[in-house]
Amino acid sequence: MSEQPMRPATPMLRQIAEHRSLLQRFMGVSKEWKGFALLLLGGLGLSNLAIAYVVIDGRLDGQWYDIRDLGNVTQHLRSWMQDEGFHPAVPYLTTALLGALGILSVVGGWLLIGSWVERRVLAKFQIRQGPNRTGPFGLFQPIADAVKLMQKEVVIPRVADKFLYYAPPVIIFIPAILGWGPVPWAGKMSFLDLNVGVLYTIAISSLGVLGVFLAGWSSNNHYSLLGAMRTVAMMVSYEIPISLALLAVVLLTGSMQLSTIVAWQANYNAWLIFLLPFAAFTFLFASTAEINRTPNDIGEAESEIVAGFYTEYSGMKAGLFMGVELGNAILVGAMMATFFLGGYTMFGLETWIPGYLILAAKIGAVYFLFVWLRGTLPRFRLDQLMGYAWKFLIPLSVVQVLLVAVEASIFARWETPALFPLAAFALLNLGLTVEMVRRWAHALGYAPEVAQQQPVMATAIGGLKAAQKMRGG
Amino acid sequence: MNSTAEPYVLNIGPQHPSTHGVFRVRVVMDGEVIRDLDMIVGYLHRSMEKLAEERTYTQNIPFTDRADYLAAMSGNLGLALGIERLAGIDVPERASYLRVIFAELQRVASHAMANGTLVSDAGAWQTPLLYMFREREKILDLFEMTCGARLTTNYMRAGGVSFEPPAEFWPALNELVAELPGRIDEYMELLADNEIFLARTRGIGIITPEDAINGSLVGPALRGSGVPWDLRKAEPYCVYDRFDFDVPVGTRGDVYDRFMCRMMETRESVRILKQAIAQIPPGPHKNDVPLALRPPVGEVYSRVEGPRGENGFYLVSDGGPAPYRFHLRAPSLINLSLLRELARGASLPDAVVTLGSIDIVVGEIDR
Amino acid sequence: MILAFFALSGLTVASALLVFVARNLLHALAFLVLSFLGMAGLFLTLSADFIGVAQVLIYAGSISVLMVFAVMLTPLASRNNGSTLYVIPAMLAAGGLASLIGFVAIDTEWDERKGEALGVSDFTTTVAGIGDLLLGRYLLAFEVASVLLLFALLGAIVLVQERRRAGEEA
Repeated sequence: MSEQPMRPATPMLRQIAEHRSLLQRFMGVSKEWKGFALLLLGGLGLSNLAIAYVVIDGRLDGQWYDIRDLGNVTQHLRSWMQDEGFHPAVPYLTTALLGALGILSVVGGWLLIGSWVERRVLAKFQIRQGPNRTGPFGLFQPIADAVKLMQKEVVIPRVADKFLYYAPPVIIFIPAILGWGPVPWAGKMSFLDLNVGVLYTIAISSLGVLGVFLAGWSSNNHYSLLGAMRTVAMMVSYEIPISLALLAVVLLTGSMQLSTIVAWQANYNAWLIFLLPFAAFTFLFASTAEINRTPNDIGEAESEIVAGFYTEYSGMKAGLFMGVELGNAILVGAMMATFFLGGYTMFGLETWIPGYLILAAKIGAVYFLFVWLRGTLPRFRLDQLMGYAWKFLIPLSVVQVLLVAVEASIFARWETPALFPLAAFALLNLGLTVEMVRRWAHALGYAPEVAQQQPVMATAIGGLKAAQKMRGG
Repeated sequence: MNSTAEPYVLNIGPQHPSTHGVFRVRVVMDGEVIRDLDMIVGYLHRSMEKLAEERTYTQNIPFTDRADYLAAMSGNLGLALGIERLAGIDVPERASYLRVIFAELQRVASHAMANGTLVSDAGAWQTPLLYMFREREKILDLFEMTCGARLTTNYMRAGGVSFEPPAEFWPALNELVAELPGRIDEYMELLADNEIFLARTRGIGIITPEDAINGSLVGPALRGSGVPWDLRKAEPYCVYDRFDFDVPVGTRGDVYDRFMCRMMETRESVRILKQAIAQIPPGPHKNDVPLALRPPVGEVYSRVEGPRGENGFYLVSDGGPAPYRFHLRAPSLINLSLLRELARGASLPDAVVTLGSIDIVVGEIDR
Repeated sequence: MILAFFALSGLTVASALLVFVARNLLHALAFLVLSFLGMAGLFLTLSADFIGVAQVLIYAGSISVLMVFAVMLTPLASRNNGSTLYVIPAMLAAGGLASLIGFVAIDTEWDERKGEALGVSDFTTTVAGIGDLLLGRYLLAFEVASVLLLFALLGAIVLVQERRRAGEEA
């Protein structure tokens, strides 16, 4: 061996050796900047103390500048308009437009950074960097992507149904935006606080099927049609478990109004995921099927049917389909947070931090879970998924609904503090769920010990005779 | 399934995410179920065997890089062994050990690719693939250190190997060999007990030992269906008879068995690598061989156990500097021929996973 | 309110017209869904949120998918629907139905409210009322409907069940 010093042998290894971590880069910053950062942190702390003083004092509650609940602003605006004597339609329309603007900015803002977040987080799961070239940390990557997609030539299959071909990218966005209506972001921040909010949610989610189907049918491509039929079949099947899971929620909380459901959870300091673990799981799993995410992304299974129902779409139309997936993911995150994770409340933390930030954090958590699943799990097959819905989720959900009905009627008649029945229900439901799932799975013929049988080491080398000898012995 | 729906033709490929190259399948489908399929190959045909008849034996070695481009070292080795047997050339011991080391590294890299793409075909969004590429990357770095190329290595020569590995090669190799078992455990943890993966691969694409032998399958596809046939054991070449290793054999012959066979073979390769590193003697890496080699008139069929199975090379010499006939026995092509039987009656996702488990390389199929 | 009413009814009527003007069955279906949605909007403006949402859920969401499947499973469904002789009795029946509904609508004494009284309603939410009625006064009808649906479900399962040929084990 030669005596020369070791050096990275290939250009890539050299690059890796020269790469500095974020901490090292931070330590290399000049003293002035460090002092500035320290000052900034101190200032933030002081201002937080001041805010805390005002909040404890109660002086902030319900004022228009109380940004913990943006509903205060619209409320004051509306009462001011009524005092001024405008036509009754004016405050109505103004607040409606403000709310719509809010929802659109949430969805639109997410579309701006969503694909960056997804790709970046996924990249971390896959030990790579993710987009980091365009702008700081690659943040402008979605914009660059969108510009590129818009510049692309519009390719329409000659045999496509022109009228129906153009509609789906738009149709499919409607539920992704309308679904945000009843989500409560804070005490008064709810655009459409329907008293049939749960039904509304289910109804809106059932609208997505049509866009998918029309996209697949009008493209006049076998891949598209296969993807569309798979998606439609799956959405129709998985709407039932979703409805049953939400029915359990409605039975226990006694309301179909989303804000009441959140208030119920805040009131008893009990997230419904603890009380109804199976419903939460069903909802999460079925939602991944509804919005076409791994492990249930069979509608656009890349390795099988290329891009599923939007195979024939190019340019920004395909971009819209991908965008709606992102939008749906956070919508489902919001639903999951609202129904099962306490919505905008966090055991009293909502007094200090704006509720919409808490909800956003919860949405982020659920979304992170989605990306995690996408980075980890393979995909189910269509028949396995349908079987899972019909043979597993639906029967168990029905049993759960019966159970919850009994529990709800006990709970309604309970006199003493609610903690005892709720804790009992939580333990009972968890235990029953585990036992039920285990027994039902075994009844369906699930046998892990057989499935995991692994290859053995050869004891002989040869052809068929050796194989038979090994099998026999 | 006796559906009354009208069957339709689905054209998969030549550009499709799961055909692993430019390979086309015309499938007659009935709903989601495959009724029949036609495999159409030849999109990557480069007329390799004919071109080889115009080139000297050494000039033919690069062709083997481009045939099975995921396992160039194994191809190199097979042809080099064939030329040596044809011309009666001796190989120094150190060169044999280097050949074993590089062939086993290539096997690890190729199995990483095969298993990674298989899991991707099953729908995992490329995470296992990229994890396995981490090791493959390091192996390719080792190749790059040694011979300057990562994929088309052109490393083995008649009479030895072309370069002695540089000084930084050995520490890097030791590091890789030390960390590989942990990595394999990691993949096993991620995939071997994964319910979804089991559901997708268990009992899918079953090949019985009889079918496998009748279809003349080779490599992990053969061993996965329970036939313990490995040329490294059955007909040891280089110095394989000096190493202690096992041959994993599947019990059911399904996709999962083929996957696990590859996984476990990777582990055995690491065992071989460790022993080879410990045993490798000093000495020259190459014997001098005339540039324009003129082997005596004759024919030879040399075969090595490549990652995809038996890499066979049939060489006929007419005494001239170029082979009279140069034929590759491509394992992928012959393994692929069973796909039609396997995919008939299966659903489209199952067929995709089955194709992934057969592990084809189109460069080798079309040559 | 007036604006919303005219916009929604315009949407409903226009898309309903387009349903039978459209020559392609799937185009007609798309317009039909639009018409359903407009009707759901009309229900919402009448404070009948349950009916409105149910309209979206059942008609726009499920019935349309059902029709989609029906169209897909019918051979030559997407062909151009030329004129047939059925158009005459269909026109007559539609005209008769329209005149009947119009007559009833004009003839009925509507409880009309204007101005201030418009904001006042006799109820806050329709859901609880509908629930009480369904499980109280109309319990029998409700149960009969659910039994009917159950039989429909069973019938569907029986229809699509794979029949094993006689003398052949599965």
